Amino acid sequence: MNYVLLHIFRNTPFGRETFLQSLYFCKCIQARPVVYIPESDKFLFYFDKDTVQVDLDRSYLTSAETAKQNAEQLFEEMGISPSFYTPKNYTASTLPDISTRFDYLCCPRSVSDVSSKIGLGHIGARVRRIIQHARFPVLITSPVFKPWKRIAVLFGGSENAVNALNLGLKLSMASGVDMTIFTLKEKEEAHYRKIVKKRLPEGLGEQAEKDWLFFDRPAFEEMLYAIPHDALVVMGAYGHGPIKDVLFGSKLEKIQSTIGNPLLVIGPESRVELRP
Amino acid sequence: MKFILSVFRFFHHRLFVMDDRLILILAGIAAGMSSGLAAVALRLSLEWSLTWLEAYRHLWWAVILPGAGACLSSIYLEKGVRECAGHGVPEVIYAVSRYGGLLRFRSTYSRLLSSFLTIGSGGSAGPEAPVVMSGSAIGSNIGKWLKLNDRQRVTLVGCGAAGAIAAIFNAPLAGLVFSVEVILGEWKIVRIIPIAIAAVAGAEVSLAIVPEQVLFHHQPFDVGLRDVMACLCFGAVTALVSIAFMRVLRLSGTVAKQVPLPFWAKAFLGGCAVGVMALGLPVIMGEGYHHIQAMISGHFSLGLSLTCLALGLKMLATAMTLGWGGSGGVFAPCLVLGSLTGVVFHSGMTALLPESGFAGQGAYALIGMTGLISGVMQAPLTGIFLILEITNGYETILPLIAVSAVSSTISHYVEPASFYFRELIEKGQFLRPGTDARILADLNLSEVVRTDYEPVDENMVLRDFIAVIKTSSQDYFPVISKGSGAYRGMIRLSAVRAYALNPMMHDMVLVSQIMDTGMATVSWENDLGDVIELMDLHRADALPVVEDGRFGGMILKTRILDLYRRELIMQTSVH
Repeated sequence: MNYVLLHIFRNTPFGRETFLQSLYFCKCIQARPVVYIPESDKFLFYFDKDTVQVDLDRSYLTSAETAKQNAEQLFEEMGISPSFYTPKNYTASTLPDISTRFDYLCCPRSVSDVSSKIGLGHIGARVRRIIQHARFPVLITSPVFKPWKRIAVLFGGSENAVNALNLGLKLSMASGVDMTIFTLKEKEEAHYRKIVKKRLPEGLGEQAEKDWLFFDRPAFEEMLYAIPHDALVVMGAYGHGPIKDVLFGSKLEKIQSTIGNPLLVIGPESRVELRP
Repeated sequence: MKFILSVFRFFHHRLFVMDDRLILILAGIAAGMSSGLAAVALRLSLEWSLTWLEAYRHLWWAVILPGAGACLSSIYLEKGVRECAGHGVPEVIYAVSRYGGLLRFRSTYSRLLSSFLTIGSGGSAGPEAPVVMSGSAIGSNIGKWLKLNDRQRVTLVGCGAAGAIAAIFNAPLAGLVFSVEVILGEWKIVRIIPIAIAAVAGAEVSLAIVPEQVLFHHQPFDVGLRDVMACLCFGAVTALVSIAFMRVLRLSGTVAKQVPLPFWAKAFLGGCAVGVMALGLPVIMGEGYHHIQAMISGHFSLGLSLTCLALGLKMLATAMTLGWGGSGGVFAPCLVLGSLTGVVFHSGMTALLPESGFAGQGAYALIGMTGLISGVMQAPLTGIFLILEITNGYETILPLIAVSAVSSTISHYVEPASFYFRELIEKGQFLRPGTDARILADLNLSEVVRTDYEPVDENMVLRDFIAVIKTSSQDYFPVISKGSGAYRGMIRLSAVRAYALNPMMHDMVLVSQIMDTGMATVSWENDLGDVIELMDLHRADALPVVEDGRFGGMILKTRILDLYRRELIMQTSVH
């Protein structure tokens, strides 16, 4: 229960689905959800090397008077004691600084777009900047709450993919659900197995390798289809800039717009310790 | 190829990695030049706008021009770039003191356009603070792109601010001093060099673009000892004006907050009020540089009573512009108010003592500017250096020091916080390097907490507990419930002595019977200031961290002291 997830609460039916996913995630991995009910339509995250202003749409301020009560009710339904976050510092009178000392953050697919547009659309630029700079993984929820029963890790052999694998293992151990690795082959299988053997502690590497599916290169969509519908997808993101995204496309965008599963994305600044 | 690469790496390492001075100087020049460009762009566009609108000022509907400008400015800030109203300087100081000078990219341009709309339409405000905000944000973002650390980024923020002030007034020294005195709050050699160079770069850019344009021209003044004596009294007058100005600004903001109107309507009303006030007295409109020039050169045409009225209305107009939602700063209004005060004071003195031979009205207008800057911003050095550079000589140095010293002392006595710092002080966010609040804010609770404390079960008998003590170096033992893991209380080693010396008790007493259940606890959300306050209140040397009923670790006063000392040494070191 030492891990804490920050959830930005939206007092709408869509926000309820998002919040239920946060609560379920916390319940599974025994983390503590902390809810921030926005008091204005913007706030700031000060990361180590950048500051990100999150501009919320007006739906985050819907019925402010019932927001706390509704959040408490959902806490109660999940059997978790309510915990709320109150900003201590303000950059300007209506611009609170939200702490970045959390272990997880829950984001809808875009924090700055109206609910109707979200669906499986683009991940907002802000969410991508958060992922790029945050020391914590970001839970990008699916449009509708559905309990996940397994963990799917997308592993491509990079430094960030190793981080994602560590995170998947950690969550698998904490929640007791099975983990499957999905790899789109760009090199021989042995190359990926070697990375896992080298980078993961003894014993855990074997555990991770137990359930590993490889797909040949052009079959990216096939691989995404093979991901179980009730899986939490864990993946690493480079957070490269908009020019590279335009030229080469963004894997994260592609994945999130193709599958409806909740995603747990770990950025380049995030490091995962493998402690149970 | 390999040879070239290794030579490049060698020099790169020597020049940029081992010693950051060169990179700071180069980045500082870029920040200074960029903020200089921003300053010149804003200044020229304001001149163009005010000149263009001058032709319509005689028309009846011209009173709504400042209202329309302020309204557009507030909508642009609130809805367009989603920034908060205000001049932005406290935001820069806050970012410097708390977040290593991290400023948003949008701040590089947002205040420039909003202040152009407000001031260009006739609102009473200054372009200096928006340009300082913009320059600081440019410096900060250059630091981000170059992946510099906090200390280096803060230096570049200072470079941007210095470049901005230097470019507006063609006064690099004033830019350097403003940056260090107001923005950074510390004089360190390692920072001063890049900031000085950035200030010169900003001023040079300004001169290169507008070579013939010096903001304020003046004739040489004949300042004598009698003027120095008069300036002691003048300093007190400028202090009173400064205090009145700060209070009117605050009152206006408080009143505006209570008015149940949308933000854009308030800005519109505030601007229209300025338009109405300016009907007979155009001196109160805009940034007022032309009127300052008229006062310095002794060509100011208003009589004593009208000048007094202009002084009062300028305060009110600035308060209505800034307090009700317009965008801009108080630097230029301070200069206008200072000059007006100088004119009034000089007229009063010459009326009372016609034969005494005081220096000209222009000298008092200039000295008055220093008085207001020293009083409102409590930045005496900035005021002195600005006027020294404008007058291009030392003839006014003694009166300047006298006015500055008296004005800042009286203002500080009546209003302990300057206009820029007040908001931060009220929120407890004024964290200057080397101060207690800053050191505590920079220490992270997780650095202080020791998580290696072994807990004991509440049902353990004393004999077993004594066995634990024998092999442990802990002075405190958290007691937890074995089943739920919940925190129950704390055992202090000293409290066990009485029981431990009585062997009869060893098998009779449980840990839960001797633990202290009333010991104060803190949570991870508390900051170090709260923890120390709680320790003082309970006269405790250690406090447990308990979150959701679970023990998280111990905070020891000795550990806080160690880290406090380390941080203090780091923050106050010469480099």
